[in-house]
Amino acid sequence: MRIFSVSHKTAFVVDHCPYMAESSRQLIECDMLTKSRSQGVIPLAPVSKSLWTCAIECSMEYCRILYDVYPTKKLVNYIVSDSEVHILNSWKQENQNTQELMTALAAVGPPNPRQDPECCSVLHGLVAAVESLCKITEYQHESRTTLMDTADRVANRGRIICLTNAKSDTHVRMLEDCVLETIQEQNKRAAGSDRLMPIQQCELVLVHIYPQGEETLVSDRQKKELSSVLSSEVHSVRAGRYLAGKLNVLVQQHFDLASTTITNIPMKEEQHANTSANYDVELLPHTATVLNPFSHETVTLKWCTPRTNSVELHYCTGAYRISPVDVNSRPSSCLTNFLLNGRSVLLEQPRKSGSKVISHMLSSHGGEIFLHVLNSTRSTLEDPPSISEGCGGRVTDYRITDFGEFMRENRLTPFPESMVDAACRTPVERAKFQLERHTRYWPMIISQTTIFNMQAVVPLANLIVKDTLTDEDVLTCQKTVYNLVDMERKSDPLPISTAGSRGKGPKRDEQYRIMWNELETLVKAHVGTSERHQRVLDCISACRSKPPEEEERKKRGRKREDKEDKTEKNGKDTEEKGWTTDSERLKGVMEREKDEQSECEIIKDSPDSPEPLNKKPRLATEEQQPPEKSKGPVSLLTLWTNRITQANSRKHQEFAGRLSSVNSKAELYQHLKEENGCVDLIFYLIVQLYFCMDENSFWDLLSPI
Amino acid sequence: MPTAVLLDSSLSMTRPVSVEGSEEFQRKNLAVHGLTMLFEHMATNYRLEFTSLVSFSSLWEVLVPFTRDYNTLQEALNNLEDYDKTCLEAALQGVSNIVQQEWGTSCPCQVVLVTDGALGIGRGSLRHSLQTVKQRVEDKKFPLPFPFPSKLYVMCIANAEELQATDSMDNLEQLINLNGGEGQIYTMEGPLCLKSVQSMFGKLIDQAYSPFHAVLRCGNLTSDVQVFPRPEPVTIDEEVDPMPRTVQTEGDEIGTGATDDTEEETSTNQMAGKSPNFCVLLHGSLKVEGMVALVQLGPDWFGMLYSQADSKKKSNLMMSLFEPGSEPLPWLGRISQLGPASDAAENPYGEDDSKSPFPIQPKHKRSYAQNVTVWIKASGLQTDVQKILRNARKLPEKTQTFYKELNRLRKAALAFGFWELLKSMAELLERECTLLSDSAHPDAAFQLSHAAQQLKLASSGDSKYAAYEHNITPMLTDFSGGGGADRI
Repeated sequence: MRIFSVSHKTAFVVDHCPYMAESSRQLIECDMLTKSRSQGVIPLAPVSKSLWTCAIECSMEYCRILYDVYPTKKLVNYIVSDSEVHILNSWKQENQNTQELMTALAAVGPPNPRQDPECCSVLHGLVAAVESLCKITEYQHESRTTLMDTADRVANRGRIICLTNAKSDTHVRMLEDCVLETIQEQNKRAAGSDRLMPIQQCELVLVHIYPQGEETLVSDRQKKELSSVLSSEVHSVRAGRYLAGKLNVLVQQHFDLASTTITNIPMKEEQHANTSANYDVELLPHTATVLNPFSHETVTLKWCTPRTNSVELHYCTGAYRISPVDVNSRPSSCLTNFLLNGRSVLLEQPRKSGSKVISHMLSSHGGEIFLHVLNSTRSTLEDPPSISEGCGGRVTDYRITDFGEFMRENRLTPFPESMVDAACRTPVERAKFQLERHTRYWPMIISQTTIFNMQAVVPLANLIVKDTLTDEDVLTCQKTVYNLVDMERKSDPLPISTAGSRGKGPKRDEQYRIMWNELETLVKAHVGTSERHQRVLDCISACRSKPPEEEERKKRGRKREDKEDKTEKNGKDTEEKGWTTDSERLKGVMEREKDEQSECEIIKDSPDSPEPLNKKPRLATEEQQPPEKSKGPVSLLTLWTNRITQANSRKHQEFAGRLSSVNSKAELYQHLKEENGCVDLIFYLIVQLYFCMDENSFWDLLSPI
Repeated sequence: MPTAVLLDSSLSMTRPVSVEGSEEFQRKNLAVHGLTMLFEHMATNYRLEFTSLVSFSSLWEVLVPFTRDYNTLQEALNNLEDYDKTCLEAALQGVSNIVQQEWGTSCPCQVVLVTDGALGIGRGSLRHSLQTVKQRVEDKKFPLPFPFPSKLYVMCIANAEELQATDSMDNLEQLINLNGGEGQIYTMEGPLCLKSVQSMFGKLIDQAYSPFHAVLRCGNLTSDVQVFPRPEPVTIDEEVDPMPRTVQTEGDEIGTGATDDTEEETSTNQMAGKSPNFCVLLHGSLKVEGMVALVQLGPDWFGMLYSQADSKKKSNLMMSLFEPGSEPLPWLGRISQLGPASDAAENPYGEDDSKSPFPIQPKHKRSYAQNVTVWIKASGLQTDVQKILRNARKLPEKTQTFYKELNRLRKAALAFGFWELLKSMAELLERECTLLSDSAHPDAAFQLSHAAQQLKLASSGDSKYAAYEHNITPMLTDFSGGGGADRI
């Protein structure tokens, strides 16, 4: 359906003139006396609805069904007409619900039979309806704004449903002429306005309501083109259930709904709890749910009692909202409550052959019930090849668990409409950006990585991908690095893959070199994010065992030192930062050691401490002391770190280029460019992944029970 | 997308083509040559697609039912027989039937008609069929448009001049129009020879059978993928959005709802199998975690990726496309408003993964999820009245329910302008009051007459008492002792 078809705007015009206060003469007995109490009591006279009450009831039912199936984009403007016009709501989406209309209708109240009939007319309402159809809706406005120069593609069509009591066919003709004239007038006005649009097509549906037991003064008339813009049809209907039936048919026609009856629903009887009877419930889904949309008969679908253990998967080709025809009836509310409580029901299509074909499924999502269309024929997707037969299918050491964790960390959640961050990014753009950051260095297989196989690296690896780091985060990262330094000093074994290499694999110091290199690669991928990220890299460079630069420098010899001096000048800022960082770090290290020492002393001094425990801390202190001594006075250390900082500043310059070759970072920027229109993807689709919710959110879409 | 090949086996197909060289060809040979080329292409690039071969003359016959076995199809091509005249309508009806039987009416299908353009004479000819197309009764309708989404490709073993000399071209064009314009006519350029038939089928392959390659990207992790079946362009709203959406540059979908596409790497050698691929990693983790990944295919076009296993324990990465739009699944809300869960103040999934921010509840409940009042049928009204009376007889225990139901009725009656009902209800309550037994709680009488009085006031239309939002509250009596109620 086109979004701006006549169904986009429906103006209800309900006659509120004194004659609408007349009784429909359909009597309803509401005094249902039970036998035991009826003795000596005169039953109350039955009540009867006025024409007005009938009209309101049925139009509200029309709106109820419409809003159930189309909660958005199909709009109603409700107008009541007597000596003046009462416009009960607007085209705004926020006004589109029955509660608001009911409140407004209560304020209008029933027609006043004593009002002067001469000054009352439904014409006021019809004129207001035409004016209203010229008013632009928020959807039309949005489309016009986005389409810009092709804004004229946004059409303005609408429907007027007029519920009235007409005097004669001539009276009807007069109403039609009035609408036609008003459209012509209003279209002229609208042509010169920004907030108004001329009406291109209008369907007038006149419903003449007359009391039961009377002869109609107005004849039915099929749809007829009155002009190129206006078509009109007349329905002459008795008030009461006939009118209800007519509006039910109209809402189905107007919004492509197909009556669908669910049969054989087993329900327990209140009186006989141990037996169950079968009930039918009529629903109104979109016609797309049925095979033959042109058939006017109700489609019958048979309830299949849910099998709780079934793990069958069903291909779902579409899900459509429904509205129950008889919303308050017991079978209907039983079914809808069953579905709203999270249960699903498979439905089968009766076949002449008697074979069972499951074709539909009823299920709710977020408080809305959907009829799902299932593929009941052979699937073109049958017998798909296994993923292990394809590229990369034979690799066995994928980091499946780690990527699972990655997906959970990158799950999506809804944010309010107004939520845009400082950089004006929508939530989904932020999600994309987060994925980009989190994957800058992400080896896919276990044998490709050392650091991601080490528990000790986890705190740093989790933090470094963040957009912003706190000082505390930096400290945690630094602690991680010191911890690694400790491990190296103790020559702890590393989880280096020996796959593919002969013998025992690389030696311990080589292992640590590989580990440090990988850690640097990870951190370097994020070093541009903020100054604090840089500090983490500085820390690694300062602490790692054998900076490759040192060895390189030896080879290059002394002549090159002049050049380094120049770099030193260029990188003065960084150098200074390096100083503070390093002195801070040193302070940190010293404090930590002091803490540890004092801790040891406490343990030592404690009389209760057993001997073996004392040995360990002593060892630790002994181990910590030699580096202190070898470092000598602080000035020497700073001299050394000075050199490292120089090396760092040199690295910063070559960093971008290096990364692009190693980490496909260059590809990332290409991607951004592509989004701005530079396309090298004529043969490629860019598919952006977001990790979302658990499967359950989609579960019903795929498999019902 | 399955393909049904409809091959003309009428006698006219055996007409020789004039060639300068030594070898003499029949039109049939050219047709077979072209189809062989198509089948070879599909066997290499489209091996997951199903194809069927149907031959026709005055009758039609399924030579090969829908299969992925291209050898069988090729074999059938090599053993063709020649029959009588061309009756296209019956053959199209036949194809329509076999496609519906196999795939139903929602699966899109391509129909490739291979003919020499001699479309029969007299009864059963295409000309005759088209002339009578508007005078059909319900069960003898012309088979076009096909009841399933389709493309009809007509491969003419003839050149355009030849077809235009008769009304063949016009008739074939009408055929495409009858199929809602879905399809295309291909003719041979220059002399009828192997080369020109190759070039014609080459065009068809480019148009309808080009493999769909894509890059699956998750941040910096990427993988080249091929998608089966190929996602076709769609037009969402011809008026506002007349350009069809295609996945290649924008975003795209097939038909309505979610269609399923297998996403799969084509690999031919073992080396490829041994280098890690992101698709395999993603598939493995999606399977283990029981998650799906949201995938963006273009502006405002989304789908999802998940692990799909068949009964034989083989599983693969599947992509389901959603209908194009910014809010394809109502319970997810607008996709552009989905952001990283880590940005939220509180983890929406809970610390132990026990919660979920989905599904999103709609702003207004649907009618069946709220207690709406509908009195279209008399029984609806009677049930509501009886409910009040039942509770009235159990006062003061049921005071809360009594007033809740009373207010529901009051609101609906006010909205529907049904004041008469309010008066009747008041009378019923007053009568209940007189029928109270001696042993009844004294509070019951107070509440009943209070409720009756309030209903009467409301039925007067006096804005003070008939306000919709106003609720009748229980009368505060010495017996009820309840707080917060109005003292009358």
